[in-house]
Amino acid sequence: MTSVIGDLIKQSVQGDRIQVNGIKAVSLLLIIWGYFSVDNFLTPANLSAIMYSVSAIGIAAVGMAFITLSGNLFMLSMAATAALSTIVFASTLHFGLPVALLSVSVLGIVIGSIQGLVVGAARVNPIIATIAVASIVMGIGSYVSGGMTVIGKGDASWLGIGKFASLVPNQLVIFLAFAIAANYWVERTRFGRELRLIGLNPITAAYSGIRVPRTLVIAFVVAGFSAALAGGLFASQASQGNLKMAAGLDFDAIAAVLVAGISIRGGQGKIIDAVYGAIFLALIGNLLLVHGLSFEIQLMVKGAVVVLAVIVAALIARGKVR
Amino acid sequence: MKTQITSMAANLPLVLAVALFAVFAVGLDNFASPQNTYAIFQTFALLGLITLGLSMTMLVGEFDLSVGSMVAVAGLITLKVGGDDLVTGALVAMAFAFVVGTLNALVFVWLRLSSLVVTVGTMIALSGFAYWLAGGKIISTDNFDAGALWDDSILGMFSARSLLTILAFIVMAGILKFTRLGRDMVATGSSTQAARACGVSIGKVHLFAFVLSSLCAGLAGVLLSISLATASATMGSNLLLQAVSAAIIGGVALAGGIGKPSGVLFGVLILTILNNGLSLLGASSAAILLTNGLLLLVVVVIDGKSGALLQIVRSKGLTRQA
Repeated sequence: MTSVIGDLIKQSVQGDRIQVNGIKAVSLLLIIWGYFSVDNFLTPANLSAIMYSVSAIGIAAVGMAFITLSGNLFMLSMAATAALSTIVFASTLHFGLPVALLSVSVLGIVIGSIQGLVVGAARVNPIIATIAVASIVMGIGSYVSGGMTVIGKGDASWLGIGKFASLVPNQLVIFLAFAIAANYWVERTRFGRELRLIGLNPITAAYSGIRVPRTLVIAFVVAGFSAALAGGLFASQASQGNLKMAAGLDFDAIAAVLVAGISIRGGQGKIIDAVYGAIFLALIGNLLLVHGLSFEIQLMVKGAVVVLAVIVAALIARGKVR
Repeated sequence: MKTQITSMAANLPLVLAVALFAVFAVGLDNFASPQNTYAIFQTFALLGLITLGLSMTMLVGEFDLSVGSMVAVAGLITLKVGGDDLVTGALVAMAFAFVVGTLNALVFVWLRLSSLVVTVGTMIALSGFAYWLAGGKIISTDNFDAGALWDDSILGMFSARSLLTILAFIVMAGILKFTRLGRDMVATGSSTQAARACGVSIGKVHLFAFVLSSLCAGLAGVLLSISLATASATMGSNLLLQAVSAAIIGGVALAGGIGKPSGVLFGVLILTILNNGLSLLGASSAAILLTNGLLLLVVVVIDGKSGALLQIVRSKGLTRQA
């Protein structure tokens, strides 16, 4: 028994899993600290607030993890895609919730595939390409909405406030299902192994006959889709769309990916790690909020946590090289 | 034959800028008026400084994503710290910009991370800092004399601000052409390993490039806030997008090693003339944002293609390296 636990501990502090396991442990400590330091921390109301704040951001983080894993750093068009998605969601809601969700999915797939083609096939710098796409999408968004809030005429309550078995928000169920499916896809299929190999070394991957452009296009499509889906979740909460609604989504998704220790050099880490990163950041955000700290302070603490995580990751990587 | 092609490519930004100006001047009544030429050079003064700094990081083969948020922070510091004493404010802002540039370079050199990753962190941290400084308000000063001093028209179409920007371009061109540091920068951007083997101090080159980039963006922000007598947290948005576009249009390669201040100057003018002409034609800010995004996407695809093409040609020994 003790040797089993010893092996578990040894495994969890080994090499590339050390950071995400650290995040899991710290998250647990945060929950315990919250339970003792805040009166109503583990009440259904506060837990549900945490679940809502983690769902949309977590979905975006899972999408971002595909990009980071493929060795293309980050996608800086997620906030823009989600913003346009809230507008599309609200404008198509009168056809019913399924149509609205289908519309935002198509939107995300289209925006993602454009970036996939530009980065994956034309080999353009991913950061610059996604900044360009972000401004095109924002330009379209402000043209379509005129900078105004679009009120949805329809019922989005199943997605917005609905709960599964009147316990967990449907949003959280969708997030976890999406994350587990994505993780399985990357860990257990040919596509996933190709994605990881491209992230580790794109040139070797290309010479080994791996379908580089195809795999990268798929990764960007998944990321675009997840950004649009996150936008749909945002929009459903108040049945309205607004270009400012998803502001900061890029940062939150990048933060979740980085604190979880998914390597920015590509190829290392699991999709599911982004989920732990998102949960950790949601816990920190919630604790700062219930302790009454202002939005700017929350932003700065999150920023500091991310910088710290990047430095730790770089030091771990350096230790491995030696 | 080859020198002819090279000189044509080098003069392309100049030819394009003149042609674009001529087209708008013929097509639009008020375009070539002294007032509008003055307005074009005012926008050039802002974007030119930022692009000049950014293009120097691109020249050494790196990238500084934090220039846009640096503009906002520098402007806010100038007015917040300075109040009516704008000289003190400007000095503090420039000192801050110096520190940020140094930190960018140190983290980049020390942790051996991609400069995109380091500066995406700086970008987020600075924009958080900007929101904290502004506190959701627009900061203003009662000192309008300084703004008048910098913006009074000289020779009808220039101002002290735009002349200073042109001077900065000339100084930078001189540094690149006549100093060892300048040649080291080009060498580092062309091939870091080869430059290191030849005894170039890579760390020093990177430090210079990142500090320069931060200082240029900081100066742009300081002058903008003095000129407007106001500063806000969103002052720098979309500037990064325009600066990258202008640099690439001006012939700076994202891969590093290629680019000249003279080209960058006309790249900035092309973008400024285009946006000015579009807004005189009645295009909305959304339409201009969309155009700039599309333009960046097009130039970055061309840059990627020609860069890849050039490498293949070189590896096959089809051209002699200059």
